[in-house]
Amino acid sequence: MSLTPSELLKDPLFQLNSLLWLTQPVPTDIEIKPLLHERGWTVYAIAQLLGPPLDVLLFAQRANISVQERVRPDVVLQQTPQRRFAFVECKTSSFGSSSTTADQARALLIVGGPRAAEVLGLSVSQVSESFVSYVLPDDQRKLLDPTLEALRKELGDKKIPVGNAILLGLQIAHNAVCIVVDPVGSASFDLPTGSTPFLTLEPDTDPRPVYFIPYDPDVDQTPQEKSFCKRILFERMLGAVVSAAGRVIPPFPTSLKTKSILNDSTFGMYDHWENQESAKNMRGVCKHFMGKVMQAVNSATPNSMSYQPGHGWLIQLQDRNHQERVLDTLTRFSCDTLDLQAEPPPSLFDEQEGV
Amino acid sequence: MIRYFDGYSAERVEDLDERKLKRPLVKTQLMEILDGERTRTLEGLASLFTSSGVKLQPIDDALLMVSDSEAGEIGFMERLGSRVVAIYSVRKSEDLNKWSRRLVYSNPELDYVWLSGLTFDVLWQVVGKLSKPHRYGRLVFTHDSIFDIDAQLGETEETEQEMVDSPSEDDVEQIVEKRETSFRLTDRIGIIQQKLHQLQELYSPLYAISQMRFPSPVGRGGHDFYDNGKVTNRSQSFRDHRNHLLFVVRIYEHLLKSTEQRAWYSIQESVGIPGQFRKIVGSPVVIRFREQLTPKVFDQWAAATFERKNNKFRLWGHPIRLGPTKVHVYGVDRHLWQPLFLELTAKGCIAIIPNGTCGNTVHRLVTNVQRYLDPGAHAFLGDIPYKTLVEQSAQLVPYEPNAE
Repeated sequence: MSLTPSELLKDPLFQLNSLLWLTQPVPTDIEIKPLLHERGWTVYAIAQLLGPPLDVLLFAQRANISVQERVRPDVVLQQTPQRRFAFVECKTSSFGSSSTTADQARALLIVGGPRAAEVLGLSVSQVSESFVSYVLPDDQRKLLDPTLEALRKELGDKKIPVGNAILLGLQIAHNAVCIVVDPVGSASFDLPTGSTPFLTLEPDTDPRPVYFIPYDPDVDQTPQEKSFCKRILFERMLGAVVSAAGRVIPPFPTSLKTKSILNDSTFGMYDHWENQESAKNMRGVCKHFMGKVMQAVNSATPNSMSYQPGHGWLIQLQDRNHQERVLDTLTRFSCDTLDLQAEPPPSLFDEQEGV
Repeated sequence: MIRYFDGYSAERVEDLDERKLKRPLVKTQLMEILDGERTRTLEGLASLFTSSGVKLQPIDDALLMVSDSEAGEIGFMERLGSRVVAIYSVRKSEDLNKWSRRLVYSNPELDYVWLSGLTFDVLWQVVGKLSKPHRYGRLVFTHDSIFDIDAQLGETEETEQEMVDSPSEDDVEQIVEKRETSFRLTDRIGIIQQKLHQLQELYSPLYAISQMRFPSPVGRGGHDFYDNGKVTNRSQSFRDHRNHLLFVVRIYEHLLKSTEQRAWYSIQESVGIPGQFRKIVGSPVVIRFREQLTPKVFDQWAAATFERKNNKFRLWGHPIRLGPTKVHVYGVDRHLWQPLFLELTAKGCIAIIPNGTCGNTVHRLVTNVQRYLDPGAHAFLGDIPYKTLVEQSAQLVPYEPNAE
């Protein structure tokens, strides 16, 4: 096991993927309990870029309150019959009211406040209640509470409408990963007050569920955790290449673009990353990885794979035998042996492929 | 073709009466084809099979003659649904099995129609409703616990001979003790209906139905459906055989559709909402074992499945070990070459099926879990029991034994 369960609770991707699993329809007797799904919560949007209303931004500017111009909550949850919306952000730790993260928090509090319908592009009647929620380790919950209260007061004093801030703590208790909410959070999410187990711990076993979102270059992770997530990303990218090479009927060639590999590996999330630097970094990671795969394939079966500017990677298979040999090499390629902490070298292909 | 096979079938039933089969029975192999534009026309269908050395010659607008460059004439092919074709043949059973197996294994756009024990359980309820209780029904149960053995042998690589009958007594066999159930139950339908559930509760391999007979409503005998979509006509009427095929194929296609509608995972744009919000849609496939696997069996299963190229589950991936009895695999369905993500534990298995992965992957997984791991396993698509989906699919199809 790479991290202890307590260390894992701090990881934003573990938090995000756990949150997504809490909203999945699954039977109630499995290791992960769908606490939010059972209460009617579903995922309304993932990593959606949202902006506070412009008049509020201008007003905050005039009042010398620093507010981020746009914000991307990790998940927006919706409880359909009640018309409730929760703007959820995953955090490793608490932050202070004078930190840069506070600018993001102010924007979130505005976005998730009484004008949430407008922010989401819905009619007022479609939203009855909205609030902001932070998922973080429970020992940080009590530290963040005063910060959020201070920020709410600061905005409220200037008559800027803000939403409630609900904290969802994560802790290890009762031999499980538990979600901790106070009475206000309990009323908002319909969750029981206190600590509720949702992910059973087994002896000597890492509690991570299968990851929907395997990798995010923007989140703050420990090198160990980043390596684990990169391993998953590489396995998914290799899976995308194996799928493509297996499906092709020789002698037709098949081509793979960086964009399609990344989208296949991230449930299409790559297409929606608006942070251009991160997207470029991801392309670099992908190209570096594909270079290694191409090297392995060509050393076993020369001239089977090439990079064609504008077309991406081309796999040229002459017949079924050739296909079998290429698939043998691909399926034996081990992502585990790659240096998972290395940053990709600058790529020459980025512009030429037109991704 | 129908008239020819009708006469042929009547003769074979006479042979069976005399206990001397002069020529092989009519058999059908149902196959699932990937739902692509190019296979919608007969020409498109033909090109799909050409890549495997199989020639399809149109006879009329719905029927094709099937011949193979190596095996010679095979029989006829008819499309019975948008995604299922039937290959009718009078070849010997072992010949047809071998040919079908080679065809399916060499072509990623073809798969068997997978009828799991859970699906057969629902079809058996249908048989109970349709047939008089005094008619004879037949069920075959097959459970082969290949990962729970006393030797280091475990699962062997699959070979061409696998589908052929068991070795004779003269053959030299290594003595390997393992849990293995394979037997045929033939009795009056009313009696089986009364007792089967109790028997299953007592002995879980009886959940692993691998073959079932639909008694023919128009005469003696019936239609034996196998878990890999092979169907043998042991009735006097080919028309009746075909009607039963159509009935089961319709259920299967409903099931495929509902499986894919529920299980496909994707990041989807919300329809009609400005800003095109993204959400994850889909449901995990969850299989829960009735009996928890021992660490040894779990290790055998994970090793045999992901360290061998030709494994029973037809899966590929590099397991990421998360504990003594837990691995994650971000892998590929080796048969259809489509991605799927798995969590395997001693208590069960969770599968995430990305958008576009064929629903057949789910049915093959359930069939193989029942056959090789836990015959009494429960399966769910999201929080809906798999059996409920089969029941819903069966309810959507009206049974019309005499309709063309």
